[in-house]
Amino acid sequence: MFKDTFDKTCWALLAISISALIAMLALNSSGEGKGAAGLGKAVEREMAYRARVELIGKLYGPVEMQRAAGKRQEALLKLDELIRKYPGEAHGHILQGQILMEMGALEESISSYVDGVKLNGDYVDKKSPLSRRGEIQKIVVDAINSVGAIAAANPDNRTLAATVRKVNYLKSRLAGGCE
Amino acid sequence: MVRNREFWLVVASGLMLGVLGVLLSVWGNPENSGICVSCFVENSAGALGLHDNQRLQYLRPELIGFVLGSLLSALLFRDFRSRGGSAPLSRLFLGMFMIFGCAVFIGCPIKLLLRLTAGDLTAIAGVVGLVAGVWVGLKGLAHGVEFVPQSKSKANGGLLIPGLFMLLLLFFLVRPGFLLFSSQGGGAQFAPWPLALIAGTALGVLAQRSRFCITGSIRNFLLMGLRTPALWGLLAFIASAWAVNIAYGKFNPGLYGQPGAHLEYLWSFLGMGLVGWISVLIGGCPFRQLIKAGEGDADAGLVVIGMFIGGALAQSWGIAATASGVSIYGKISILAGFALVAAGSLAFRQRAAD
Repeated sequence: MFKDTFDKTCWALLAISISALIAMLALNSSGEGKGAAGLGKAVEREMAYRARVELIGKLYGPVEMQRAAGKRQEALLKLDELIRKYPGEAHGHILQGQILMEMGALEESISSYVDGVKLNGDYVDKKSPLSRRGEIQKIVVDAINSVGAIAAANPDNRTLAATVRKVNYLKSRLAGGCE
Repeated sequence: MVRNREFWLVVASGLMLGVLGVLLSVWGNPENSGICVSCFVENSAGALGLHDNQRLQYLRPELIGFVLGSLLSALLFRDFRSRGGSAPLSRLFLGMFMIFGCAVFIGCPIKLLLRLTAGDLTAIAGVVGLVAGVWVGLKGLAHGVEFVPQSKSKANGGLLIPGLFMLLLLFFLVRPGFLLFSSQGGGAQFAPWPLALIAGTALGVLAQRSRFCITGSIRNFLLMGLRTPALWGLLAFIASAWAVNIAYGKFNPGLYGQPGAHLEYLWSFLGMGLVGWISVLIGGCPFRQLIKAGEGDADAGLVVIGMFIGGALAQSWGIAATASGVSIYGKISILAGFALVAAGSLAFRQRAAD
């Protein structure tokens, strides 16, 4: 593999290419080059995510204020409107679940949480700024204790069976896994 | 059999796979996904920008370790042979469908057993499906099916896949701006990378030496019964994973609320059935394909490329199942996979009269 001029030229080309590649990578991974590489897709995406979290705060701010003032029915009406306007946005469902829970409507609250988590799993993540993991965990425990026992006693009740399925879904999402 | 070196190599591989499969999850990988080739492929395809699920993007060092460990072992033991050239496009498509099958079940055959040994009883449907798939595949081979004939011919592409994975390792270390990493979800859960890389490399070396493979073990058991060392490797895997799960308090037996699992048993059965059938046709499960690609098998290399395409499409097209169940696209992909394999088995079969 080192016999004639063509072989030697190929070897030289290979050596030059690899050296240049290593030099380029080394230069770009330190100093000024690093800043440029850092402004990659990941950073842009993180910025977009933060902006989205802020937008959610603004969009659902009025609902939160109504909820804080104890005007739960008005808050739910406003949420209905927002959920219709932004059907792919999970936050409305999560807020709906929170309000329904405060009103004591456990089964409806669970349905709303499930709709929200299906749209966006960030609500069961520990790390996410949107996380509602703690309250979802509490609802699952409460539901297992209350609905679970009633459902076991009434195996033919389809409504209860559907609620149990939803609780199991939330339990599965809380347990983690690659999803 | 116990005096045989091969027996102990296979048992050691099974033991290590079981122990590290659980430990990687303890160290930070998602629950029951300490080792899951299909999940890792989906995560890595996402990190390379091949799909847009922002929760599943991480270039998994374990995956790189499997291929480079196999390369290292093959070079050290003079086992590296660049070979290939048999039915490349068929292999590419079968690699894609193998990942679709895994995505519908939520996990590769290794994760299937990790889920089972952690007490996830929903995985039983997958076990039955995998065994049935391997059995159907074997029946096909016995009846002359040569969908993707084994190639013994020399090829010059054997180093390309190991080269690609070296490049991926470089990407992982240098972290160029185009590489994507999840900040939420399963992609944001990972073991410390040096541990993950070392574990992957060690398993790559062992698997290259022992030829250990989950579907291969089932195939050998169906062919040879208890005489096959592969069965003991499989049992060592199950026993060690189960023991470590119990030791770390991760054994939670039950059907409901299991991590990364759904209750659509029929589709779990069919998903793993498709994986089993394809694995027999192409000579190994997703893990084995990575190991073979590392030791110079360009045919397995094409399956690996197909697996990456499949991983990307499983996420982009919504084929992958979630805890809420299997999507219509997932179901269609499984049926399409069965149609492809059945049609291929019909078309490429040596019949007695031929």
